[in-house]
Amino acid sequence: MIWRYIHDDHVDAAFGLAADEYMASAVGRGISEPVLRLYTYADYAALVGRFQDVENEIQLAACRENGVRVNRRPTGGGAIFMGHGQLGVALCVPGRQEDTYGRARELMARFSEGIIRGLNRLGVQARFRRKNDIEVEGRKIAGLGIYRDNSGGLLFHSSILLDMDIPMMLRVLQTPFEKLSDKAIHTVDQRITTIRRETGRESDMEQVRQAICAGYREVFKSGLEESDFTHAEREAIAQLKKEKYESESWIFQKPAVKDAVGAARIKTPAGLLEARVTLAGTQIKALYILGDFFVSEKALADVEGHFRWHGSAPEQIDATLHLLYEKHGGALASLPADALRRAIRTALDRARIISKKAADEPYGCFVTPGGNVHV
Amino acid sequence: MAQKAFEFPEELYYDKNHHMWVRKDNSATIVVGIDAIGLDNLGDLAYITLRPEGTVVKKGETVGTLEAAKMTGDVFAPVSGRIIAVNNACVENPGLVNSDAYGKGWLLTMEAVNWEEESSQLVHGDDLEPWIAAEIQRLENQGFDA
Repeated sequence: MIWRYIHDDHVDAAFGLAADEYMASAVGRGISEPVLRLYTYADYAALVGRFQDVENEIQLAACRENGVRVNRRPTGGGAIFMGHGQLGVALCVPGRQEDTYGRARELMARFSEGIIRGLNRLGVQARFRRKNDIEVEGRKIAGLGIYRDNSGGLLFHSSILLDMDIPMMLRVLQTPFEKLSDKAIHTVDQRITTIRRETGRESDMEQVRQAICAGYREVFKSGLEESDFTHAEREAIAQLKKEKYESESWIFQKPAVKDAVGAARIKTPAGLLEARVTLAGTQIKALYILGDFFVSEKALADVEGHFRWHGSAPEQIDATLHLLYEKHGGALASLPADALRRAIRTALDRARIISKKAADEPYGCFVTPGGNVHV
Repeated sequence: MAQKAFEFPEELYYDKNHHMWVRKDNSATIVVGIDAIGLDNLGDLAYITLRPEGTVVKKGETVGTLEAAKMTGDVFAPVSGRIIAVNNACVENPGLVNSDAYGKGWLLTMEAVNWEEESSQLVHGDDLEPWIAAEIQRLENQGFDA
């Protein structure tokens, strides 16, 4: 089978997202061949996940000051920062006959394999991390998400880091750091990595695109034919952009379950330990571990990665910590497991109090049920 | 690899395209939720929205949206009908769907308008065991820890 390969650069946030959603729908309805789109956003865009609250995730004043466009993806997960150094991947494939929810794990692993093989070709030892990241030795290099359009089309989204302006990212996204400092920049720098850092070369975006194309050709045994949006597609994308991705009701919608953030600081013999958790309902969406103790940053990044999308019940936390301390052994030696357990549990208790308060004082509006706009 | 066990209550009907379950008693009202394999694949749910009571849908149309660890997407009507009630407890705490899929994790009740015809497309009775076995075999081949 021949897929369409579309590449474009410096796209506006609303256009970028509208094009991805429309093409997933077109592929699902059988009016387009599958599409692999590799593109970059105009500097810069801050994109929240499908059900996130913009005000919780984005520093809107900083976005206004720096001309950063804010929008909402159809795919889930956390807020991302996109610009000329990050490659957006949108893979649109048909899913109408697929038992999609029975195959979500398989789909995520398979779709990400094209990216992993592409990164391997560049000399980056990337691998799939359980749930929805691609990592290099514990450091995140790409995020992943899947959206199923109600026509049955599947949209696989990824953002691959060729490079990253961490100070700008920290200005724009809400983070656990109280202020932009060298320490905050260093901490983030240890949790993520980029193609340029891993290869030690000044690779350009075109080389990355070619490698990702080769990776997908290999995995899906598909040919890729250079393509562009047709006139009719551009018109339909423009309509979706206007009706949905430029609409405040889409971008600034409030979820029924508001994320709650809780933090706890604990003194340990090795130094101060701070745990910050983001809780959505009963799920831990993110854990950040900060402090002035000395442990392997890779091990710490792995601990944080394991707690992404993790249950919040005490026995679930204990079981995962037990596995992680067995796995990393000495690398976490100066961070006592009991202290970390206590810090996470206390942070969760505080997040639950905030969550309950938010439930008692609900937003004035909820996400529009079935709120996808289709053209 | 040890075979993973999934709970599939025998009295229910299952939509094999979307892994939804349906409970039908003697009245025209049905109860709808997501089945164990669907949930195992989606991972933990963090958000769910459901269309309001009174909404009329055809089989396969969307009755809501969800975000799980693995994907975002729609919740699909297993049969045609009118939504009678939505389970707001699940909207406020989507973890209920994962922890008690066939009990407190029900999503909505519907008045089924074409049950006789559409229920024949759902998996039930003698067809249930071979379907579950085939699904588990498929998942074993996929690998659970992907």
